Order: sequence, then C-alpha cells, then structure tokens
Amino acid sequence: MTAVAVRLVRLHASSRRLPAALVLLAACAAGLRGTLYVHWDDYGALQLPLIFETACAAIIAVTAGSPFGEPERATGRWLPYLRLGTAVTLTGLASGALAAAGTGMPLAGGFPDIVRNVAGLTGIGLLCATVLGGPLAWTGPLAYLVAGVYGLYTDWHPPALSTPWIWPARPPHDAGGALCAAAVFAAGLAAIAIRGARERPAGDGPST
Amino acid sequence: MTAAQAAPRPAVGRRGAGSAALGSGRLLRLELRHNAMLWLLPLAFALFWYNGYREIMALPPMWNLRAITLQNRLLFDLMVPATGAAAWMGSREGRRGITDLVAGTARPRWSRQLATWAATTAWAEVGCVACVAVVYLITARQASWGGPLWWPAAVSAAGVPALTAIGFAAGAWFPGRFVTPLVTVVVFFGLAFGTQAASGDHSYWQVSPLIAGAFDIGAAPGVASFYPYLPDLSIAQVMFAAGLVVAILGALGIPVARMRWLAAAVTAAGLAAAGTAVALAGTGRLDPHGMIVIPALHDASNDQPVRYTPDCSRTPIPVCVHPAYAGFLPAVTAAVGPELTEFAGLPGAPARIGQVAAVYRQDPGNGITVSGGRTGAAAFVLPDEVPGRLGTTGAEFAAQLDQGFGLQLMTDVILGGADRPAGTAPSQAQLAVISGSVRFPPSVESRDLEPLYGRLLPEPGSPASLAAKRFAALSPAARHTWLAAHLAALRAGRVTLAQLP
Repeated sequence: MTAVAVRLVRLHASSRRLPAALVLLAACAAGLRGTLYVHWDDYGALQLPLIFETACAAIIAVTAGSPFGEPERATGRWLPYLRLGTAVTLTGLASGALAAAGTGMPLAGGFPDIVRNVAGLTGIGLLCATVLGGPLAWTGPLAYLVAGVYGLYTDWHPPALSTPWIWPARPPHDAGGALCAAAVFAAGLAAIAIRGARERPAGDGPST
Repeated sequence: MTAAQAAPRPAVGRRGAGSAALGSGRLLRLELRHNAMLWLLPLAFALFWYNGYREIMALPPMWNLRAITLQNRLLFDLMVPATGAAAWMGSREGRRGITDLVAGTARPRWSRQLATWAATTAWAEVGCVACVAVVYLITARQASWGGPLWWPAAVSAAGVPALTAIGFAAGAWFPGRFVTPLVTVVVFFGLAFGTQAASGDHSYWQVSPLIAGAFDIGAAPGVASFYPYLPDLSIAQVMFAAGLVVAILGALGIPVARMRWLAAAVTAAGLAAAGTAVALAGTGRLDPHGMIVIPALHDASNDQPVRYTPDCSRTPIPVCVHPAYAGFLPAVTAAVGPELTEFAGLPGAPARIGQVAAVYRQDPGNGITVSGGRTGAAAFVLPDEVPGRLGTTGAEFAAQLDQGFGLQLMTDVILGGADRPAGTAPSQAQLAVISGSVRFPPSVESRDLEPLYGRLLPEPGSPASLAAKRFAALSPAARHTWLAAHLAALRAGRVTLAQLP
C-alpha cells in the first residue's frame, strides 16, 4: 500500500470521525462488561446485549455521514471502497469488542447472537443513512431496538413473534434470522458503498 | 398632573408584556413548524401500534387492564422518537456551528432553548395524547362497566416532557453527531431496565413512570375493579417527572450570566421535587386490593369499595359477577354449569353465588400472594389470568375455574365448608362424590391435581377413584336426586363407597 493510499484512508477516517467512533465502540463494550456483573432477571439478561449492539450499530451508521457533500463525490473512484471498508471494519470491530466484553460472563446468545444482531442493525442503520442522511441514521437501529426488545418479550408471553425479520427474538443459531440479518447488512453495505449517505443542502441533516 | 403622568406607565408595561408574549408565540410557532419530532411522529405511532396497541387491544375490554398496560407501554414506545428528536433539536445550534451567530439575537439563549424544547415536547405530547385517545375511545365502546382511568394517562403525559428535557439538555451540552443516538440508548436503558431494580412495595424505583401499581402484579383484573384506582403512586411519579423537567430546564439556564441565580434556584427546586417524589415512592406499601398506598399522599376516602350492580346468570344457582367481568360470565357458567344444576336446592348449597375481590399480600422480595377473600360457598374469586391476559387462552381460563371455583363449590357443599371441624379428613365416599362432580377439562393434567390427591380428590386408581368415575357417568339431574336423598349422610361420613350409585 502506498503512502498516498494510507493518507487517503486516514483522511477518510478522520472525515467520518472514526477515532471518536472507535472510542465510543470501546465504551459500549466496556458498558456491556460492566452491566454483565449486575444480576438481571431473565428478561434483562436476554435484552441487555441487544441495547449495546444497537448502540454500536447506531454509532457505525452515524459515521457514514460526510461533511463534504457533493465535492467529495468528484474526487475519484476510491470513495465507494472507502465507505465499504469503513462500514465493514467498524462492524467487525464492534462485534469483536462486544464478544470480548462478554468473555467469561453470562452473555445471552453468545458470539453468534452478537454478530447477527450487530450486522443486521448496522445494515438498517446504513440503509437509513442512505435515505435520511448520516446524522439521522440512528433512527432505524433505535426503532428496531424497540421491536427487538418486544420480540424477546413475546418469547415469554405468547403469541411469540415467529418472523425471522425480528431476528433478535430468534435463537442464536436460527438460519432464518441469520439470513434476514445478513440480507439487510448486505443491502446496507451495497447502498452505502454505491450511493453513500444522503446529503442535504446544509451539509448536516434536515433543516431542523 | 401626577395622576395624568402616571397613567401611561402601566399601558407601556402591558404593551411590553404583550409584545414579549407575541414574540414568544411567534418563536414557538416557528419551532413547531421546523421540528424533528413532527417528522418522527409516524415512527412513534408505528412503534406504539407494534409494541403497545396490539397487546392492549388483545386484553379483555376492562378499563383497569388497558389503562395500566397503556402506562407501561406508551412511554416505552415514545422513548426513542421523543428523546432522539429532542437531542437532535437541542444540538442544532452547536451542530450547525451557529452558536455565536445567534448569540447576538434579542432573546437570551435560555429563552430560545425553552421555545425549541416546548415545541418538541408539544409534538411528542400530541403523539402521546393521540395514542391514549385511540385506546380509550375503543375501550369506551367495548367495556361493559366503568370509565377511563386518567392517572395512568397523566403519568405517561408527564413522562414525555422528562424524556424530551433529558434529550434536549444532552444535545445542547454535547452537540455532535454521536450524542443523539447515545443519549437515546442511555435513556432507553435507564428507563426500561430501571424497573428491574424495583423490589417489593417499598422500592424507590417505583417512581419510574413505566410502573403502574405493584411491580409484580401489573395489569390484573382484580386491581381497581372492586376498589377505586389509587392515585398515590401516580402522584409521586408525576411529581418526579415534573421535578426532573424543572431541574434540567433550569440547569440549561445556569450558563447564562444574567440569569444564573434564577436558573440555579429553579434547578434546586426541581431537584427537591424529584427527590421528594423518590422518597415518597419508597414509603409505599401494597394494600389488600393490589395497589400501592403512599401514606403521605393517601386519601382514605379511596378505601371505600366501588358501588355496582352485579351481573347474574340465569342458572339454577345464579352466579353474579362484578359488571366489569360481565364478558366472562358465559365462560363461568359454562365451566361450572353441571355443578350448579347438581347442587341447586340442596341443603347447605348457596342460593346465589357472588364474586368477591381477591386479596393481595406482599411477600419478601417481589413475591405477591393472591388469595380469595371469600367467606363460604356463596362467594368466589375469579382468577386474574383471564383470557387475553399474558397469552391466557379460554381453555386455560376454564381449567382454572374448574380447579378453583368448581372444586371449591363441591368441597364447601360436600364437606361442609366453614362448618367442617378442623383437622377432619374427608371420607373416601366424599372424595369420590367431589371428584365425580367436578368437570376438569382435558387441558388439566394429572400433575396439576397432584397436590389435591387424598385431600380433596381420591388417589388415581384407588377404589374411590373408580367410584368417582361411576358417579361422574350419571347425569347432573341423577346426581342431584341422589345427593338430595343422601347429602346429610354423606356429610356425616355415613356413606360408604359401595353405597354410591
């Protein structure tokens, strides 16, 4: 890799606030670790990881926003790869950090659950970034959090939600849930790589 | 002359106040038109429909069940859009880098922030009120008795400004692209998981606006049916939410040099109110009717039972229920109909059976004991697990009725109920008649009845069990005829298994 490529990656990472995102992802992992020391009832134990997974996904989605707008699109052909690389790298790091935080602790669902949920939620966030813009990309993952928490709740109180599109409510090794999460993640990656986050005239979200 | 000079001054003052009010109104109107919460209202409605509305509407149409569940769900569903929108609006000046630009405007920053927060809260309240209105209007058309419970709705409405205040303050203090999702997740975690810390009726965590009544009873049909809904905990929760709002909004004004002391005083007052509410919630205790009493806020007139005219069945022995339970009367008479025919007119059998309130008692930790407050065969308690509540089916409800009400009716009549000498074991013939009379649906498994074997039911495979099957094969009319002739002897223990038909 040439020095120019390294510089390009570094500048892209800076423009997307990647250093801050990495710090926040580490804080989420630390938060998960800290809360796992607390005794939770069955509801709490199952729903707890989903909250931290959602926080990570929302952070990743928000980093998709560009501060430059249209001029950045004219800079060259590497931008889609940079966007793709950023999203994949952050998703991998978030999954790894959360899994590491749960090591040796009673983490419901384990690593498969973390990978599936982080990937699926990130996919939702990236799709939202494409449609709403980076600064508002958090709305999708956080709205899905409410749906996911309710899905887990119905595991106790039937009728249980059986659709694989609410994948947090499915067992960790469920193929249907994993496929849906993977499909959403792939769609999000494709959308963010090809189109990028939606840009507004003001450069940072809607006129509100 | 003096009077003539003094006269215009109040007019100028009035014009100034009117102008300020007009200006504030214009500012608020502008903020209302350019507010993120307006665009997030569809999301709020979608979340409420998905998470709250469907479950609330699946409950039986009883005001207490639906209102208490509404309080538990509504704020939960509004949490993400309201907090997120408020944080987004609060971070606007910092996010756009116009803090210095707007610092030169006529109004102080605190005033502008309050207008933005008020507009965000107003839209969030519109969402809250719309959800309450839909649930209450539908319930009003379906419920067989009672009226809306306003306190649960008031707590939800009071919780909305607290959510927006937290989000707004976080956005204003830490403007940045990450603050909105992070503060929303933190509030979600705090509110949704804060209830997990509630333990028993003395818990300070009861102040959470998601908790309606006793934490481990939740929405139960026996709560606030026979006795009025106690507003004690709701008052503490509203006080807490209001105190929190005042404290946070006051803290926003502390950096403003001219208003620092005023803002600090407002913040202190808000914190005092919120702290007092938390302390009050910690003094709560579970009353026998399933609600939380806070002595300092309690109105003794709420301890009087509600007046109502019961709904009664047209069965040989009329069964009367509280009118709120009228929808369950057909299920009750269907479950115990044969027993009612069998016992009608027998000596010792009740002429009328009426529903009475369940009695709730707090056990250590989060345990709650629910017992019947009945005083004989003429009274019964309907189980809290009614069809539609927590996934309970009609078959499960019928099974509970047979295991509870049906068996209780049998034992009271056959064994003598309260007149029975203490410590007297029932005879095998008595057990056979009880077992042969109660109709357990197929959903009742042997393990459910195991604790009753030898006490109220014969052991499976025993001679008494075989006699019970013979007795059960008779028609209710035939069993009635036999009991009319032999009930006194059966109660006295003078009937043997061989003498059973």
